[in-house]
Amino acid sequence: MKTFALLAATTVSVLSLSACGDQSSGGAGQTRDQIRAVGSSTVYPFATAVAELFVQGNAGMKSPIIESTGTGGGMKLFCAGVGAQYPDIADASRRMKKAEYEQCAANGVKDIVEIQIGVDGLAFAESNKGPGLKLTPKIVYEALAANPYGKGPNKAQTWKDVDPSLPAIAISVFGPPSTSGTRDSLAELILEKGCQSDEAMKALKEKSEDEYKATCTRVREDGKYVDSGENDNLIVQKLGANPNAVGVFGFSFLEENKDTLKDVSINGVEATYETVSTGQYPGARPLYIYVKKAHMQAIPGLQGFLNAFAANWNPDGALTKRGMVAAPEDVRKKSAEIVKALTVLDGSQLK
Amino acid sequence: MTAVRNPTDWKSEAMRKRIAGRYAAERRFKFAGLFAVVLSASFLAFLLVTMMGNGLRGFTRTEIALKVDFPASPLLLDPKAITDEALANANLPMVTGTVAKTVLGEKADDLLSPTAWISIRDAIKADPMILSRTATISVPASTGLDLAAKSKGSPEMEAEVARLKQQGILSTGFNMGFLTASDGTDPTQVGIWGAFKGSLLTMLVTLILSFPVGVATALYLEEYAAKNWWTDIIEVSINNLAAVPSIIFGLLGLSIFLNLAHLPRSAALVGGMTLALMTMPVIVIAGRNAIKSVPPSIRDAALGIGASPVQVVFQHVLPLALPGILTGTIIGMARALGETAPLLMIGMRAFIATPPGGITDPATVLPVQIFLWSDEVSKGFVEKTSAAIIVLLAFLLAMNGLAIYLRNKFETRW
Repeated sequence: MKTFALLAATTVSVLSLSACGDQSSGGAGQTRDQIRAVGSSTVYPFATAVAELFVQGNAGMKSPIIESTGTGGGMKLFCAGVGAQYPDIADASRRMKKAEYEQCAANGVKDIVEIQIGVDGLAFAESNKGPGLKLTPKIVYEALAANPYGKGPNKAQTWKDVDPSLPAIAISVFGPPSTSGTRDSLAELILEKGCQSDEAMKALKEKSEDEYKATCTRVREDGKYVDSGENDNLIVQKLGANPNAVGVFGFSFLEENKDTLKDVSINGVEATYETVSTGQYPGARPLYIYVKKAHMQAIPGLQGFLNAFAANWNPDGALTKRGMVAAPEDVRKKSAEIVKALTVLDGSQLK
Repeated sequence: MTAVRNPTDWKSEAMRKRIAGRYAAERRFKFAGLFAVVLSASFLAFLLVTMMGNGLRGFTRTEIALKVDFPASPLLLDPKAITDEALANANLPMVTGTVAKTVLGEKADDLLSPTAWISIRDAIKADPMILSRTATISVPASTGLDLAAKSKGSPEMEAEVARLKQQGILSTGFNMGFLTASDGTDPTQVGIWGAFKGSLLTMLVTLILSFPVGVATALYLEEYAAKNWWTDIIEVSINNLAAVPSIIFGLLGLSIFLNLAHLPRSAALVGGMTLALMTMPVIVIAGRNAIKSVPPSIRDAALGIGASPVQVVFQHVLPLALPGILTGTIIGMARALGETAPLLMIGMRAFIATPPGGITDPATVLPVQIFLWSDEVSKGFVEKTSAAIIVLLAFLLAMNGLAIYLRNKFETRW
């Protein structure tokens, strides 16, 4: 019995030990000596690069922890509350939504600083051996929508069915899943634009927002659009094996794989550094980080981390070397001012 | 009644056909079995060969022997006052770039790793007197050059490799940093030590929690519990628990350990607790089987000479069952070691460049590190991913080897 009692005692003590750990490191009144960021997988490589530069430039600082949860998941964690057990920064590949802002406010996260760190392009690409498609938002919408213009299920089988100028190649698009911020951008920047080419849809938007969203942004599920997980490298590999397929992913992946992929132009505009940076390319989208002002004093090095972002988002900075596109100069200037003054985001501008 | 018994005519046409048919069925079955073995072996061989083909390159690194003329360089450092702060303020990245341009030509930026200056910093730190002379320091090459030197790169980089090789300053060697460094953003600088340590700490927590509880449960159910429908329900539940998909344990960990108990996010402690939930049923099942296989005669003999039931269990049954329990435990732990899904839910899918110091520090584990690297933009990470897989496989192989060793060493046959 002795041994058994000992065994039981060990177990109980280990469990209670972990409960103690809870109070000492997770409790609300405590602080952290590491910065914590959560959010978009698109911003992840840039945030990690800044984290590394931040540690190199500030000897003795612990490396910030960057979690890749997707923009939506990150916002949920970020808005859960103020205190050491909640993250300091949310990375986002789209703007914060009004509902998320309200969620934040309901949990006591009141003062949020919004900083645009750069631009990313939603690139359409095909294999080097591909047919050289030229697309427009309207064509993409008509090819991918589940229910184009609310006129019944999508029957288009080839690109030619959608637009006679295109070759008779079966539609096959590899893209991000619905949990991804990249998918939100696809819906907002391309599908909605294409959808709005029909006047009736604009009228529908006035009448019923929900119905409009369903008609304009729902993607068909009959295998023409292949959901490829959050792994953009997988899409790149798939395109190599399927020369007739089109891939949708972040611009940095196109840049890195220029030897196997080529760009599919949208509205006749190629996705290049310049066209994305100036916003001329239809798939350009801003990248943001959101910071809790209440954490600025409590978490050591947070201001330094933001400064490291500001120091590296220029056109010849470390972030552009990693594949990010620098924002236009006036945006950068404005963002730099926000970093300095920590101007709080006005929730009424959000959608 | 005279029944004429005809002896079986083995030579008749019908009988020969039947015998031939039976032999053919035998051959077909043997062939099918052999085919199954060859097929699974070839899948395994394919996996290992591709992993080794891609991954072994990940353990090597291309370096350029950079001749640095410190007195002539624009570096303002006092050899007598070398501190971390002085080195951080000396703008070494810029100085390294300038020096590299004079030695390697205009395109030096594309040839050197962006973290090449760290090698120079470490050289100065190791020997400050280096600042007064010209020294040759090996610095890591850029990813493009590294790929071109080891396998296939772009044509420009292939040309650069030829040029640098001619000068005799390019070398490819074993990359110790891969085993001692942690996660990073540049494939020439990353290592797996952080993730490896995270895996070790997580496994430690899992073992401490799941082993005692699992063995105690198995002992109680086998030796003490009455056989009624209560124990039947418990038995069915434990068997079900062992088959529950791991992601569900992740969600359980998220809602109980993080949201309810407010344990630290991304910590090895929570990871270990979540995996312990998953490993426990495996240990219980293996433990019960091992205890069941101890012959009743041993219990009867011990009871017969006056041992109490607890003495029987702890002095006779448990020692004899231990090899089986340990094998089951190690196999359960090996499964937990390769688990990713539940750990994603509790925040271990993160960029963590500082190796964890304890079980409450943020940590990541080997399979998650592999998952993270497979999603990296830079092409240099492809071979690093494969190399990390090789490390994980070696770790698993070592654990399974230990299980076999323990079984053979302590197993008793009756």
